[in-house]
Amino acid sequence: MNRLSTEILVIGGGVTGCGLLFDLAQRGFKPMLVERGAPANATSGRFHGLLHSGARYAAKDAATARECIAENMILRKIMPHCIEDTGGLFIATPLDPSDYADQFYAACQTAGIPVAEISPAEALRREPLLTPDIVRAFTVPDGSVEAWEACRTLLESARAYGAQTMLYHEVTGLRLEKGRVAGAAARNRITGAAVTIEADMVVNAAGAWSGKIAAWAGCDVTVYAGKGTMVAMNYRIVNTVINRCAPPADGDILVPVGTVAVIGTTSVRVANPDDYPIEPWEIERMLVRGAEVIPSFKKFRALRAWAGVRPLYQEKQAGPDLRKVTRNHALLDHAALDGVENFVTITGGKWTTYRLMAEQTADIVCRKLNTHRPGQTARTALVPEKKRKYHTLGARQEKVETGQASGQLVCECELVTRSQIEARLAENRRSIINDLRRDLRLGMGPCQGGFCTWRAAGILHQSPTFSAAQANKSLVDFLQERWKGMTPVLWGAHLRQMLLDQGIYAGLLGLDKLPPELSGADSPRLAEIETEGYFLVKNEE
Amino acid sequence: MNKTDTIVIGAGLSGLMTANLLAQANQNVLLVAKGVGTPVLASGAMDVLGFQPVDSRRPLENPLAALDDFLAEHPNHPYRLAGAEAIRRGLAALQRITAACELPYIGGPEKNLHLPTALGAVHPAALAPRSLAQGDVRRGGRMLLVGFDELRDFYPALAAENLNAQKLGVRAKSVTLPLPAPVDGKMNITPIELARTFEQRAFRRRLARVLNPHLKGFSRIGFPAVLGLHHHPAVLADLESELGKTVFEISALPPSVPGRRLFEALRDALLRAGGRLILGGEISGGEITAGRVTSLHLETANRPKLLSARHVVLATGGLFGGGLQSDAAGRVWEPIFGLPVAAPAERRAWFSAQFLAPHGQPIAGAGVRVDARLRPIDGEGRPLARNLYVVGEQLAGYSWTAGRTGGGVSLATAIAAVDAIINR
Repeated sequence: MNRLSTEILVIGGGVTGCGLLFDLAQRGFKPMLVERGAPANATSGRFHGLLHSGARYAAKDAATARECIAENMILRKIMPHCIEDTGGLFIATPLDPSDYADQFYAACQTAGIPVAEISPAEALRREPLLTPDIVRAFTVPDGSVEAWEACRTLLESARAYGAQTMLYHEVTGLRLEKGRVAGAAARNRITGAAVTIEADMVVNAAGAWSGKIAAWAGCDVTVYAGKGTMVAMNYRIVNTVINRCAPPADGDILVPVGTVAVIGTTSVRVANPDDYPIEPWEIERMLVRGAEVIPSFKKFRALRAWAGVRPLYQEKQAGPDLRKVTRNHALLDHAALDGVENFVTITGGKWTTYRLMAEQTADIVCRKLNTHRPGQTARTALVPEKKRKYHTLGARQEKVETGQASGQLVCECELVTRSQIEARLAENRRSIINDLRRDLRLGMGPCQGGFCTWRAAGILHQSPTFSAAQANKSLVDFLQERWKGMTPVLWGAHLRQMLLDQGIYAGLLGLDKLPPELSGADSPRLAEIETEGYFLVKNEE
Repeated sequence: MNKTDTIVIGAGLSGLMTANLLAQANQNVLLVAKGVGTPVLASGAMDVLGFQPVDSRRPLENPLAALDDFLAEHPNHPYRLAGAEAIRRGLAALQRITAACELPYIGGPEKNLHLPTALGAVHPAALAPRSLAQGDVRRGGRMLLVGFDELRDFYPALAAENLNAQKLGVRAKSVTLPLPAPVDGKMNITPIELARTFEQRAFRRRLARVLNPHLKGFSRIGFPAVLGLHHHPAVLADLESELGKTVFEISALPPSVPGRRLFEALRDALLRAGGRLILGGEISGGEITAGRVTSLHLETANRPKLLSARHVVLATGGLFGGGLQSDAAGRVWEPIFGLPVAAPAERRAWFSAQFLAPHGQPIAGAGVRVDARLRPIDGEGRPLARNLYVVGEQLAGYSWTAGRTGGGVSLATAIAAVDAIINR
């Protein structure tokens, strides 16, 4: 058995865990992060990509709103390359309660959110596809955030301070010694090998899974898995984040992300955070809600649906309405709560406030270890000065046009060039197509990988580490993964697109007819688990 | 317009073949289509039956010999209506028409060609144009697959490694080169653009010079399917003589150059046989009165124009071709006549859990049910219109990916519809 030891073990590679790893490393600890998949593999990569201004919460929860706006401003400074400064609009339609707008405006001002009312005509000038029935409109500093890029940056920065990462490792239990947590047992999901990690302190940042982790230490942490389903539309219908100026409800946020727009979400409590199928009514609800804001909404194609599970922390028994459960984060020192030493849980919260959650957690860790090391993450830019600008949609096109990137477009929907893919492969010779998707948005546009997946497989195979069988397998897995997200929204033109993709991969290429030992079609899916993806390899080297 | 014997709607393989055969039988034929049909997205080869049982991964040698077994498992497949004889006649008709257009199709219904795909899998096809047929892996020997840096749809090293791993008796190697001359200074060239470039003699000379050092020891040289568009026979012959080797093509992603050649050959043959053609004309609706189609609405700039004919052939395709439409509520409909469509009732039953489902996606089998004369029927099996026929992908009861029967269905049902119309 492989034995490792570390000062502080962080369980969970969502944005909170990644942020915490960086914070601890920057404070001079030698932390280690263990994550069962790739970073931001679960909830942190499965949301609509909204950087909250806090306005969504202002009327109901002033404290959360204040946290959001403060963190929003900090993230813009420390990771601008992951943020698109889309701005946000809150619009009230005749369907929304007429008294909410004034209440909303006052609450935003109280919370310190820069809010300004604009005329409905001005809102329509900015976003012409909005319903002409707008009654009132307000601007707020919402944004769109690139989750995978953010987590990648955090981990790279943490490693630069000496932090370790154990990706594709699933925690299988906690080590308990005399009423204290002394580490964890994990399993390498690639090799199956068992690993024991000794640690002076363990932080449970496992999101919707944190209840399960805490239970291993005999601690009771009630975290509900709140499923939220999102639908990506085939067009950047709006350039601004659009919110309904109404109390939070299903499908009240529309976010421009890359070349598409994402509407979300539903909110449904599920029993198992590993199994939460998307229901047809959820899709229908998103399309109906979208059409209330954008009358032509249903004329666009729904490309893909996905869901994530929010960790919703509840001190007491929760009622049926998850939106009334707190979305605040909870930081639990189990020494005080359960008499279990060296064990802290950080759960709940929002993507936007990950840094604050990490900082508060690191503060507690310092206190418990009797050391005074103030956090600096709010002041530490994560990218060099010359890269310190907002991400923009046109950046890739600009690079192609100015000759900074080879113009051969592999993914025409998302403008991914061959040179970008080759650069990724040079950095990490074992990236599979799913890694390229997370890194470059390959296959995430309107055709959902119909053409570019084949090209990516061909390019992958040209790198010396990939045999044909591995390239085939990566192709099979990627198509299957895309398929899962497409079936809830396949009808009309998108169904035709899928039938074209079937024609390409079955009829033209014969992928389904390669012998199984060559295509890996009958063996378990590699993606997310045995990929030996980008981070793992980096870590090994 | 009343002189029109038959109006065929749709310019895919089944529509073009039906129109050609009727025109050759001296009918006054009008083919109306919204756009070019699905051949331009397909490989250009004719699949009759490639795999039986359909989830087998072993390519069939003899499609017709396996037909009874296939039909026993797929009793509603359109082959049941058309029969083996119609398959034979359909293939022969395609061979006759394409040969007259200098695009000879090689093969026959009793022996599949085993064509290499761009991935290096085997694609069993009953007929293929000479350029594709010459890639048949059972010819054995050593083949060199040639790719170009600028063409992002063809990766010969992957094809070669997959072919070799299957121990098919052929040894493949690959080489990927920059194009000997840039195509309009473009980084992203399409197969169609490259095919036009291959029509330049000077380009082929330069390519041959670059390739010559690589050719030693190979009996066949394979290219992506870009060897000329309008002058393909000359390009192929010239390249073979320049290289001194047998040359073949492999179809890759759409747009398909062999598909485009086939479309153009069938279109030209139709015009030569006296047929008329309206491309870019959408039939938006039609009237069935007293058991007959009495008129069709052709969309024009100002108002629908009424067309009529003694017979109407619906060759508009299925959900893929656009002859059937669907929506989020799980409805599937035929938009011209509102014919009844057989489809899984609920949208959640439309799909298999697997993207590459060996039996095809259930929804892909959606279509219009017909009688023995290919006339759409109502719930009781009675024809809805005496002079309306359905051919090709719109027919119910099959998904072309299951066993790979797409080309055969189009050809055989074209034959069956022509028989029904002419022998009335």
